[in-house]
Amino acid sequence: MVYFIFKRLAQSVFVMLAVAFLAFSLFRFVGDPVSQMTGVETSVEDQERLREDLGLNDPFVLQFARFTGNLLQGDFGFSYRTRQPVAEMIVTRIPATLELGIVALLISLFVGIPTGVYTALRPRGFVTQTILMTTLIGVSIPTFVIGIMLIFLFGVQLGWLPTFGRGGTVQLGGWESSLFTVDGWRALILPALTLGVYQLTLTMRLVRAEMMEVMRSDYIRFATARGVPMGRLYFRHALANTLVPVITIVGLQFGGVIAFSIVTESVFQWPGMGLLFLESIRFVDIPVMGVYLVVIAFFFVLVNLIVDLLYVAIDPRLRIKDVS
Amino acid sequence: MTCNTFRNSTLLASAAICLSVSASAETLRWASTTDPQTMDPHAVNSAPVLSFLNNIYEGLVRRGQDMSIEPSLAASWEPLEGEDGWRFNLRQGVKFQDGSDFTAEDVMFSYQRASNEAADVRSWFAPVADVRVVDDHTIDFVTKAPNPLFPDSIANFMILDKGWAEANDAALPARDAENYATMNVNGTGAFTLVSRDPGVKTVLAPHAGWWDEAGHNLTEAVFTPIGNSATGLAALLSGEIDFIQPIPLQDVAQVESRDGFKVLEGEETRVIMFGFGHEHEKLLYSSDVSDANPFADPRVRLAAAHAIDVASIDRVLFRGKIEPASQLVPADISGYSEANSSRPDYNPDRAKELLAEAGYPDGFSFGLKCPNDRYINDEAVCRAAASMFAAVGLKAELSTGPVRDYWPQLREDDFDMYLLGWSPGTFDMEHPIRFLMHSQDNDKKLGSWNFGGYSNARVDELLPMIQQEIDPAKRQMMIDEVVKTTQSEVAYIPLYTQPLIWAAKDNVDLTQRADNFFMLRWVTVN
Repeated sequence: MVYFIFKRLAQSVFVMLAVAFLAFSLFRFVGDPVSQMTGVETSVEDQERLREDLGLNDPFVLQFARFTGNLLQGDFGFSYRTRQPVAEMIVTRIPATLELGIVALLISLFVGIPTGVYTALRPRGFVTQTILMTTLIGVSIPTFVIGIMLIFLFGVQLGWLPTFGRGGTVQLGGWESSLFTVDGWRALILPALTLGVYQLTLTMRLVRAEMMEVMRSDYIRFATARGVPMGRLYFRHALANTLVPVITIVGLQFGGVIAFSIVTESVFQWPGMGLLFLESIRFVDIPVMGVYLVVIAFFFVLVNLIVDLLYVAIDPRLRIKDVS
Repeated sequence: MTCNTFRNSTLLASAAICLSVSASAETLRWASTTDPQTMDPHAVNSAPVLSFLNNIYEGLVRRGQDMSIEPSLAASWEPLEGEDGWRFNLRQGVKFQDGSDFTAEDVMFSYQRASNEAADVRSWFAPVADVRVVDDHTIDFVTKAPNPLFPDSIANFMILDKGWAEANDAALPARDAENYATMNVNGTGAFTLVSRDPGVKTVLAPHAGWWDEAGHNLTEAVFTPIGNSATGLAALLSGEIDFIQPIPLQDVAQVESRDGFKVLEGEETRVIMFGFGHEHEKLLYSSDVSDANPFADPRVRLAAAHAIDVASIDRVLFRGKIEPASQLVPADISGYSEANSSRPDYNPDRAKELLAEAGYPDGFSFGLKCPNDRYINDEAVCRAAASMFAAVGLKAELSTGPVRDYWPQLREDDFDMYLLGWSPGTFDMEHPIRFLMHSQDNDKKLGSWNFGGYSNARVDELLPMIQQEIDPAKRQMMIDEVVKTTQSEVAYIPLYTQPLIWAAKDNVDLTQRADNFFMLRWVTVN
């Protein structure tokens, strides 16, 4: 098991290198950082000197080698836009994105799984049809439109929830959390809902499909015939068997939730990594963009690893195979 | 107790205290689209930085509500006797925010810092030959040639404390890596920095020892950058912020229709124009003219000018909020040429005649480049212009892109015609002549935004004379000549002056300055 984890983490280094390489080969088309770093009155000569000093005139391979070489030594460089250390900028933004992503994931699981089970057991009921319709509408509307609609309904018209930012945050040993204040939770609801709605629909439909399949299988019929109580039948016997594919999809999607929270973060001015990335694109802040993409690649690898480990925990058959 | 100190506490109860305190009337919460990149007044010469830091730092001179130059850290100034330059008599008794005294040494230090290679504002000091401290409260700026506008040109040159900067290893502006001055301040201005979380929140509080009488009633000012304009509007309408700059044109009606909010409209000093590839041998993006550059012919340029219907652009795209422009500065800028205040009228027939005279009776196709995230409605304006051009036979192949990609294209001469906006940093006509009309000359650092390479020997000859002329009447005559020449040669097609649209709660009184700077010292919350 330890070897397996170690091997996966070693692989992640190659994934990150590949991502960094691809990212770097694209950065040249994003624009010119120097014209974003300097004012209109700055002379062409001064701009050229800055470009030379930043090594932007060097060949692409050399720039990439310098970037990865520095990364491997733990030197993440400085932002072109704010001149701050990139590592610090990204680290301070990670809590916001992770908390948003995890709460969105929890919403999607805690709402998605029960409704999935319910809609599977009562496939033709009125409530089921209503739920299926609304969630379908939910996934068909682009994220930013959902976000804006929620903001204008709950923030502007009703005035119940804040329209932007993280609200009250609390420092917990360098981790800036909004999970420990009422204000923080109020600010978290709308963005988490916006980010989670797609996941929620996906989870619900997946659970529903799997559940309907499982309910038709022989062992459920036998269990029903034996008089196993309904609650135990549905949740212990049927649901547990639907969870392996659900965890795969939800787990893999979670990497996407973290990576693509960009839109949600932008709509809610949520100070996470995605918003930082957007600002960095605008200013052609190559060091920040490069490190962000590498960090996201690492998240993807990590999430996949956790999904693999969860399989083993949920499906006893895999454990047996591992031992043999 | 402020929200900031609350951040370090873990008590839930203090959330409520925080909320109740921040609801008091003297706190102003405002938002803008861009976070200032740095708190260092010399590191980045960009509007978000200069606008924000003018609340914290001050210059020798400053601009009033109507943009006029008034004394600030210099109580008065006069031309030097026997040599070219200016003597600044510094204000006595001014304190920095950390309590140290303001003296001529601080000005000298700030000059050296701001004119260093690591500073982005060093072009302001190109005319300076020498700076001499005369005594604690007198300093001389010697210029290479007579420079009547020098005091006006350094209104954004902000003075920081020598002792503070040196003690904190911030003697030079942070260019490659941050230093102490990137995140901390020590100015003489009306407000000081309480906390800064870049890209998230910046909190300012009044500087108790400010030398001038405070024209505001604020006890705290909280700035949040909000990049998404719909989010910014929602934040205003929900009452979470008191003021936002700017708001998109299409949201004006939405704000005006609600009680308790107001829209502030003004003219920015930015003139939007079309430029040509004057010096290009041939068109780059033409499907029918491959061996010549029709825009080298002034008749073709004039035809293009006659083809544009600014009134329609105003009505359809700007809801009547733009002012047509005849030259590269709007009318309230010093040096504006009254004598040349008419622009080519909308006259498609004349445009077709001119094209026929120039040898293009059927017109021709060419490439038009435009940014899509730089000016208000920039892409829409170009689309409208392209269809107006098409009506006279000028078939524009429009390509648009974000500004981060746009400037490099213009620098590489990758255009036939392009859109540009220009706001004169010194609020004088000399500024666009220097940057847009003088021939490109990297050695003299002139014409650096004259992408099309417009060149006229007489304009080049007049620029230094305009810069040095003390007599306003003579100076204006020379400027009039430049404007007349460039108009008759259609060096550019000036289109209109861009509007400035801010929105605020009704209970906030503030001043909208034409340079789009937001000064907290004129804000009162009722």
